[in-house]
Amino acid sequence: MDLADFDRDAVLASFVVESEEGLDLMEQVLVQMESSPSDPELLHSIFRVAHTIKGNATSLGFNDLAGFAHVVEDLLDVFREQQALPTADLISLLLEAVDELRSMIAGATAGARELTPAQQELKKEIALEAEKRSKTAVVAGEVAASSGAAVKVDGLPNANHRTLRADVEKLDHMLNLTGEIVIAQGRLRRMIEKLGTEQGSAILEMHREAERLYMDLQSEVMSIRMVPIGPLFRQFIRSVRDMAKSHGKLARLEVIGEDVEVDTTVLEQLKDPLLHLVRNAVDHGLEKPVVRKSQGKNPSGLIRLSAAHSGGNIIVTLQDDGAGFDRARILEKARRLGLVSGKDDIRDEELFGLVFHAGFTTAESVTDLSGRGVGLDVVRRNIDGLRGTVDIASTQGKGTTITIRLPLTLAIIEGFSVKVGNETFVVPLEHVTECMELPEEQRNSEETGIFSVRGNAIPYVRLRRMFSLTGAAPKRENIVVVKMNEFHAGIAVDELLGGMQTVVKPLGKALRGIPGIAGSTVLGDGRVGLIIDVPSLLRGVMQASLQAQA
Amino acid sequence: MGASNQGKNQLPRSTEQYLTFLTAGEEYAISIVKVSEIVEYEAVTVVPNTPIWIRGVTNLRGKVVPVVDLAVKFGLPASGISKFSCIIITEIMFQGEMMTMGVLADSVSQVMDLSADEIEPTPPFGTRVKTEYLLGMGALGKKFCLILDIDRVLSADELLAMTESVTDDAAIGCRSKAASAFARHAEAGA
Repeated sequence: MDLADFDRDAVLASFVVESEEGLDLMEQVLVQMESSPSDPELLHSIFRVAHTIKGNATSLGFNDLAGFAHVVEDLLDVFREQQALPTADLISLLLEAVDELRSMIAGATAGARELTPAQQELKKEIALEAEKRSKTAVVAGEVAASSGAAVKVDGLPNANHRTLRADVEKLDHMLNLTGEIVIAQGRLRRMIEKLGTEQGSAILEMHREAERLYMDLQSEVMSIRMVPIGPLFRQFIRSVRDMAKSHGKLARLEVIGEDVEVDTTVLEQLKDPLLHLVRNAVDHGLEKPVVRKSQGKNPSGLIRLSAAHSGGNIIVTLQDDGAGFDRARILEKARRLGLVSGKDDIRDEELFGLVFHAGFTTAESVTDLSGRGVGLDVVRRNIDGLRGTVDIASTQGKGTTITIRLPLTLAIIEGFSVKVGNETFVVPLEHVTECMELPEEQRNSEETGIFSVRGNAIPYVRLRRMFSLTGAAPKRENIVVVKMNEFHAGIAVDELLGGMQTVVKPLGKALRGIPGIAGSTVLGDGRVGLIIDVPSLLRGVMQASLQAQA
Repeated sequence: MGASNQGKNQLPRSTEQYLTFLTAGEEYAISIVKVSEIVEYEAVTVVPNTPIWIRGVTNLRGKVVPVVDLAVKFGLPASGISKFSCIIITEIMFQGEMMTMGVLADSVSQVMDLSADEIEPTPPFGTRVKTEYLLGMGALGKKFCLILDIDRVLSADELLAMTESVTDDAAIGCRSKAASAFARHAEAGA
């Protein structure tokens, strides 16, 4: 690759990134214009987007792309000159154009420079609309808000900070290195402490100083990985609009807490589950406008996405004011699937949690959006993968609130290490409530058992058996009591080693998705220790025991 | 290094270098292009619920790398550990991406040059290893060494089959009386 090629690649890459950002903005503004068509500043900003894409495309030799951007610019210009008001149809047309521009840009950079027939058609249509309207004067009255979905957003983000683009992989590598330093420093400190001489204590003092500096560096490295959640939330504005429209529903998406920051990896992995949940809210949650009216509700349904910090967690809630869960139907379905036994006294949150089981759907008809019973189980798996929890509260007729609780970062956790045989395992501290010795009289050698904590019977799982580890059980066993949602259980281990900061390392593609294992870490002695995935471990045992009884 | 990018299952056309090593009394060879380094055997952490031929994971300067025991993979008893034991770090293609994998060896023998006409095609039977895992056989004095297609030995299919078997393993039965208590809580707490 010679220099010219390299330059062109770099230019192309920045063209793609810039255009994507512009088109995202355009999409948001267009949706917003449906409800409040009159903000000239916003219009101007997206006019500029089309203009920039046109200019860049021309200079890169993508003439067809430039031509397409040109007609879009023309139509936007009509609005800008106040010669016409954007109707819902025109907005839909422009949104279609945004989608096509996205695929054209991807196509052009990959070498496909010509427009497809469908794109030609769309271009003609847009050009026609622009021409038609540039001659007629504005007719006051009909505005977009009359149909489709309206979306409310408080202001648009201002991106005028001094920033620098960085490859996430590089950030990952930096974080990895800071993790390595923690381990190396720990080993070094132990060595110095062993010296015990006067010189040794001077070195130790210096070492502590270095450790403090290092801690500062680590928190900086962590902080550059943090990105605001706003852009992710905003992507759903369009989704809600399109979904509501195709279902003959009215919906508003309200976004709160856009500035809340979260690790970029967490954010990436939150997108799919959140999209599933938003879809469900529109499809299952919100009622048709007629129904809503008859119930005295605003015909336009409200979906509220909000984010907030709470301790070391981020809490994302998705709230809708739709129909809520039909308790009786869920109970019936759960019985049919054998998820609950005959009793009716199951608590709401327990019952609603069952919708996350694979194959669970109460929708009467399968739509393009949902009803196939796939999705919610994937949602929970994704959230589990992020070491998060998801809870549902719902009142029939009033709406549903889904609360997702996630750690701020996946890279470092507070861990509690335990020993079984020769192996060290780390239990995430957030799950640990207490530790105790397993009383002799409550011991067995099975895979699971029962022990008592202050009179309560608590089941435990013996890690040695569960993971088929070799070696005989020691004289004394200990129990780590863990909590998952409101459920307590014990994990029986040989020895308790204590808490420590743990740098999480993925096990890699080959060993992904092992039940009960969340990842690995490098221990103080340089060996690899495995991190226990508490929810998956407990679910595994529960499933097995349910199957054994079936 | 001569022609470095060989297609899968294609015999090398010109001279290429191979690393030969001993596992379970048999001499194997891997194209040196696939090998990034050889490290001394260090403690390997067993990962539960994985196939037995995955010996575990080891720490390679901060990177957690799976280690494969080829002996088990080829249906023999697990390799013992001696002072000559080492781990050959290989870079293999996994689902279109490079992945680092360690291969446990009883000892590493040599790096040797083999030209195309020194490599015999694999006979249809007679080798301990499935022929699909082999690129051919290299003459080693009076003996032969088996040239492994390491990408294929540790291929996506093999590993995917592994994750499937892992999911099956997850359903290990609970035979104790406590199982019913767990199930009761399962309904309440899931």
